[in-house]
Amino acid sequence: MQEKINQLVDEAVNEIESIENLNDLMLLKSKYLGKKSEFNQFMRELKNLSNEEKPKVGQMINLAKNKINNHIQEKKEAIEKAKINEQLAQETVDISLPGKKISLGKKHILTQTIEEIEDIFIGLGYQIKEGPEQEEDKYNFEMLNLPKNHPARDMQDSLYISEDTLLRTHTSPVQVRTLLENEKKEPVKIIAPGTVYRKDDDDQTHSHQFKQVEVLVVDKETSLADLKGTLLIAAKKLFGEEREIRLRPSYFPFTEPSVEVDVSCYQCHGKGCSMCKNTGWIEVLGAGMVNNNVLEACGYDPHEFQGFAIGFGVERIAMLKHGIDDIRQLYTNDLRFNSQF
Amino acid sequence: MKISMNWLNDYLTKKIDAQEVEKKFNLMSQEVEGRYSLVDAKGLVIGHVNSCVQHDNADKLKVCQVDVGNEILQIICGAPNVDANQKVIVALPGAVLPGNFKIKKAKIRGVVSNGMICSLDELGVQDFEKKETGIYVLNDSAPIGKDPLQYMGLDDEVIDLDLTANRPDLLSMRGIAYDVKAMFDIDISFDKPKVKRVKEKRELSIFTETEDAPVYYGQIIENVKIKESPYWLKSRLLAAGIRPISNIVDITNYVMLEYSQPLHAFDFNKVNSNKILVRKAKENEKITTLDEVERELLSTDIVITNGVKPIALAGVMGGAETEVSDSTNTILLESAVFDPVSIRKTSKRLALKSEASSRYEKGINHELTKEALDRACELFVELADASIVDEPSFYNQLEVNYQDFELSLDKLNKVTGHTFEIDEVKAILKRLDFDYKEKNAIFNITVPARRLGFESYQDIIEEIVRIYGYDKIGMSLPKTPTEGKLSKKQQFKRNIRNFFSHIGFYETSTYSLTNQFLATKYDVTETSLVKIMNPINTDREYLRHSVIPALTEVLSYNHARKMENIFLYELGKRYTQEAETELISGLMKGDFLYSLWQKQAVEVDFYLLKGIIEKLFIDLKISDFDFVVPENPIPNLHPGISANVLIKGKHIGWIGKLHPEEEKELNVKNVFVFEFELEKIYSAYNENVKQYEPINKYPSVSRDIAVVVDKLIPAKDLYETVKNISNQSLIAIDIFDVYQGEHLDSQLKSIAMSFKFENKEKTLSNDEVDLMVKRILNALEEKHNAKLRQ
Ligand SMILES: [Zn+2]
Repeated sequence: MQEKINQLVDEAVNEIESIENLNDLMLLKSKYLGKKSEFNQFMRELKNLSNEEKPKVGQMINLAKNKINNHIQEKKEAIEKAKINEQLAQETVDISLPGKKISLGKKHILTQTIEEIEDIFIGLGYQIKEGPEQEEDKYNFEMLNLPKNHPARDMQDSLYISEDTLLRTHTSPVQVRTLLENEKKEPVKIIAPGTVYRKDDDDQTHSHQFKQVEVLVVDKETSLADLKGTLLIAAKKLFGEEREIRLRPSYFPFTEPSVEVDVSCYQCHGKGCSMCKNTGWIEVLGAGMVNNNVLEACGYDPHEFQGFAIGFGVERIAMLKHGIDDIRQLYTNDLRFNSQF
Repeated sequence: MKISMNWLNDYLTKKIDAQEVEKKFNLMSQEVEGRYSLVDAKGLVIGHVNSCVQHDNADKLKVCQVDVGNEILQIICGAPNVDANQKVIVALPGAVLPGNFKIKKAKIRGVVSNGMICSLDELGVQDFEKKETGIYVLNDSAPIGKDPLQYMGLDDEVIDLDLTANRPDLLSMRGIAYDVKAMFDIDISFDKPKVKRVKEKRELSIFTETEDAPVYYGQIIENVKIKESPYWLKSRLLAAGIRPISNIVDITNYVMLEYSQPLHAFDFNKVNSNKILVRKAKENEKITTLDEVERELLSTDIVITNGVKPIALAGVMGGAETEVSDSTNTILLESAVFDPVSIRKTSKRLALKSEASSRYEKGINHELTKEALDRACELFVELADASIVDEPSFYNQLEVNYQDFELSLDKLNKVTGHTFEIDEVKAILKRLDFDYKEKNAIFNITVPARRLGFESYQDIIEEIVRIYGYDKIGMSLPKTPTEGKLSKKQQFKRNIRNFFSHIGFYETSTYSLTNQFLATKYDVTETSLVKIMNPINTDREYLRHSVIPALTEVLSYNHARKMENIFLYELGKRYTQEAETELISGLMKGDFLYSLWQKQAVEVDFYLLKGIIEKLFIDLKISDFDFVVPENPIPNLHPGISANVLIKGKHIGWIGKLHPEEEKELNVKNVFVFEFELEKIYSAYNENVKQYEPINKYPSVSRDIAVVVDKLIPAKDLYETVKNISNQSLIAIDIFDVYQGEHLDSQLKSIAMSFKFENKEKTLSNDEVDLMVKRILNALEEKHNAKLRQ
């Protein structure tokens, strides 16, 4: 009997080896382990054995069945795994083919530059003010210490709408408006981004429309040193941590003293290159201490208050930062340009 | 202002270097535009042409033996005017001429040439001679073997300053010297002009009828010999960028450069009068100016007259009739002060800008008006053999009135944020030549007359700080305690930009000024345009009412450059006389999403645009919005594919497809645009903190139905009807198919809808859901005659 059982197990194991699909495996399972299988036959024959042999043979049969069952289970897992592998192989894609194209979308570089400047000053505790582009001569010039016939008005040839209204030539009138509307004459600490206009023909370096960000602080002890410290922070944030600043005398009617502000060249680090015309410095903006005439015109007592103002040219900053050599590119909206930033 | 270093050094007790001057001006005074040698040449020497014979093998060449001091050089010269016994400029072998032109020993047609005899043109010097005829022939006294540039005064370096409007004092060499004194802390000295006047009476009376010409000196100068000016004078004028003409003109220009006091010379015999009357021009009075143009004058112009008619346009240009010429013998020399504003207006109106007018515009130091005249007289004697007859006739309505400013050390330190010592301030004021009195650290400072335009102690602070050095001021930050933040609206605008940029739109930056046609093209407001009085051109004459025309221009530009998928937006403005209305405008064309190799694409259509706008509103937590058929067609949009957009029933803007005619004009198909008023969206924008709604733990049940209705009934009406049944369990309605065509009457359409039901208290039973669907169907049938599609 034992021989018979062993033979049957060998036979089954051999047969399992050659099976390739689950269906055949199930047929085989019922053939060897099913109700009509030889093992079942053996089990039935057990009753004919002596009480001594019964448990021995019974155990032998069970061991044999378990062995076959294990082999079937192993085979089943092997077949299932092969099947998954086959599926994976079939589904594998060429991952180097291009992805679906989604329109990219970008904020304009001028917007990005303005937001960058805004964020620097928000971090320093400034609030953002806006003003109209159609501005009164009074706010654009007169109250900024630029009376009619002032020679400096030539510096910014203006586009007039009427005798008294024009397209603002700078964001400085927002200074005047902010100081005027502050009825309690409290300290002021603002920045004012916006669009301004000049009567210029558009060329590589001129645009009749452009953007400025004005900075104004008026308080009792706001000093030239405060202006320098503020400029240094802005220069480092905009052009890199290692930047230094340099102030040179200049002239704006609404500030006194007035300065041009240079930033140490970020291309040659001060050694001199074509970008900085071999000076190691790049002129980036104008600034100064608020002229007493402006404070007075806006109802602030210059004996009590003093302050500083800064004027950023947004185009200039963006062009310097990104190496843009023609201001018109900022207004052409060639998507091959706009998509780069 | 161009500074001649030779000239400047004449005033200084210690010579200074041009490079140092450039550096100091940049950091302490005015921006330097350039620094350069007046003549960029090395290796030149004065030679004497001992002999000059024809070259054997060349018709046009001469062989010269030239004495250059220590040797005789054989030099081949091709100039037609070269001759024996001339003093000439020789470029020795090894010399470098402008343009990095190196002179070498050479053989020319078989004959050795040891250098070159130069023309001034070859040295880069223009306008020194009246007519350039070839090589330059020096005067007889030129020292052989010496540097010709030094001999002629051309060995100069020039510093070109870019002057700001507040420093007219730097329009004179004396003013420059004062500034150099302050910057370098060195001494300067000026010679007082010495004039020998012939004591003979000349009848000349000078009057004025206008306050705009407060000072006027007229000097008669006789026996003037017109000739070329000497080398030194020509060289200095060249360095200053002024063309030498003749001694009379050159002297007036030289003195103007020295004192910033313009002078004008009349041919006195042509004045035809002993009476000079300065007055305002009469309306439509005429004068022919030096440039031979007849000018029509206004009553704001100042004229110099001979009592009868204008002989000069004061401060701007002389008259042609009294112009000095080669035959002039007696001149009337004018040294005067005119009103800056008046001169500026006249010069601007007539587009006549000169060295003189630009100085008058900025203001003249009247303290020097007489001295400048004397200086010119001195030079007329020296350089034109003239006799100065009698004292000048004049009137002077100006009093010397110095400006005083009080500045305390405290104030200086408070404004600068720096601690100045009292002695430091005193030393700087001394360097600046500002007189002061000091008591208890309070300075009373008198500004000299040469420094015009001081308004307050702030100008004094500027002077002190620039001489002290901006780099020595420390750094700090304002102590004003304020909160830095974007306003709610500014944050809202950033959100809008973030939304469109993130979803795939490029932000554009376009011009607000446009032409009349484009300014109103997509306008729905019917308000009047804002027009520029003095436009740059007609394409920039009006402020726009809509951003869309600019966006379609950007579309055309990019489309012409083979870009197919174009998604644009801009936050611009609509400008009217009364207001500036912020707009959100956009344009879409092409595929929003695509894959070429998979042949898949999501092309823009009305519903993509609508979906994006819906998402925008939902992102902004705006719920009560609606798209409605416009009562009147929106200009330039497809009347059947456009909608007005409402929030809380209020019109906020529109969306739609461009009109086919418009697309044809642009040569682009399927363009969708939108324009909203930002403020109207903003006012509905809700940034309240959203309260959490618990997620339903009972499952939802979905049911789909299809109904057949008249094809003109908008889907929205069916929606509304279903919503109005007001069943709290109905939580979502969606349309998943719209069908017209086969198997359906041509007047009908089939709409398939999907409903989602759920209840917060229990799982809904099939029967309950069936009942709700039945009620929906009943309502649809009752209201819209909708039949369930089987
Ligand atoms: Zn550099």
